[in-house]
Amino acid sequence: MADLDVIADLMARCALRDQRAFAELYRQTSAKLYGVAVRILRREDWAQEVLQESFVNIWNHIADYSSARSAPMTWMTAIVRNRSLDWLRRPNQERGDEDYDLLVEALPDGAPGPDVILGASRDARALTECLKQLTGNQRQTIMLAYTHGLSHGELAQHLRQPLGTVKTWIRRGLDKLKGCMEGSEAAN
Amino acid sequence: MRARNPQLREALAAEYVLGTLQGAARRRMERSLKDDPGMRRLVAAWQERLAPLGETIEPVEPPAQVWRNIQARIQPGARRAGFWANLRFWRGASLVSTALAVALAVYLAILAPGPSAPQTRVVVLAGQQGAPAMTVSWQTRQKGPRRLRVRVVSHDEMKTGTAWELWMLPGGDRKPVSLGLVDTRPTQELVVPEPRAQAIDDAAGMAMSVEPAGGSPTGLPTGPVIYQGFSSWL
Repeated sequence: MADLDVIADLMARCALRDQRAFAELYRQTSAKLYGVAVRILRREDWAQEVLQESFVNIWNHIADYSSARSAPMTWMTAIVRNRSLDWLRRPNQERGDEDYDLLVEALPDGAPGPDVILGASRDARALTECLKQLTGNQRQTIMLAYTHGLSHGELAQHLRQPLGTVKTWIRRGLDKLKGCMEGSEAAN
Repeated sequence: MRARNPQLREALAAEYVLGTLQGAARRRMERSLKDDPGMRRLVAAWQERLAPLGETIEPVEPPAQVWRNIQARIQPGARRAGFWANLRFWRGASLVSTALAVALAVYLAILAPGPSAPQTRVVVLAGQQGAPAMTVSWQTRQKGPRRLRVRVVSHDEMKTGTAWELWMLPGGDRKPVSLGLVDTRPTQELVVPEPRAQAIDDAAGMAMSVEPAGGSPTGLPTGPVIYQGFSSWL
């Protein structure tokens, strides 16, 4: 994973219209961002469109980015996720039945245990600790929703649970995460 | 219609970031983000909180065609390859005091302007560490020249034989426009005549470079850019 200070510097240069810096930014971050799009969209042709649109957006709106507000990868990932989710949720653009079946096959059956390891960064460790405080159902629905872009309805179908139950798991899980992370955010 | 209940706002922001907010509710949220800075802050906080979930996602190399398409879309005209090489960002500490690094950090953006009423806009220029060095403020949407109020908060020494030149960054692919020279006095005023004056209101940001005494001989930055800041836009 690229060094984050390098990414921030590249973005500053992009803001001054340095296209070589933009090419380097793409080289360092595109695989990760493409992975995000592919995981949500499940189709590479869609993911390629989204990646392309996202990077054009990043170039055009780089002056909107402020390092005081978010880490560079968080900002770029949010752009890709939002575009992917918007793409998915366009009318008549639901994932096809065949796609959905493939998706269901590919998902893990059991809830990820409390030992899900997210990574070594400080933010990742804080979130890992807080995820442990959720129930298995809360944790699973949140992770599936985030990484796979599953809607409440798709989650309910996949987990064979009532819609209301899934919504409650997510809402309670998010509340607990916020409470727990605000504790560690305050400590830092 | 904007949700006012703080708990509801928090829940909406969280589910928007998570991805479970859909359809009309999602579109409402996206519209509301444009003029609701409080909601933008909530969303940004959730993005940071949940970002590590993305660390489980495997990178996948995209096909080369994607980059070619991106390149084609961001350069409508001729290449400008040579120009930015003049800025010497990552080399040339020679004109800059050793205490100050040449690399830049993007710093904060301020103030939601009304579209037609005059507003005070402030750009904070900062150096690499993000520490503010100077602020430039002015009244927008007025006829006539702009009086830029420059406040120097902190600065590195200015070597003899050099000058600091303030540049407006119009955004997009347009070149920086000089606003004049500044020195180390804590408060200064720069008067920018028309037609440049109007363009400042829509500037993407400002930057300051170290130039030879008297300013850049070329009309574009020739020395290292040591401070930089951006205007917010909605």
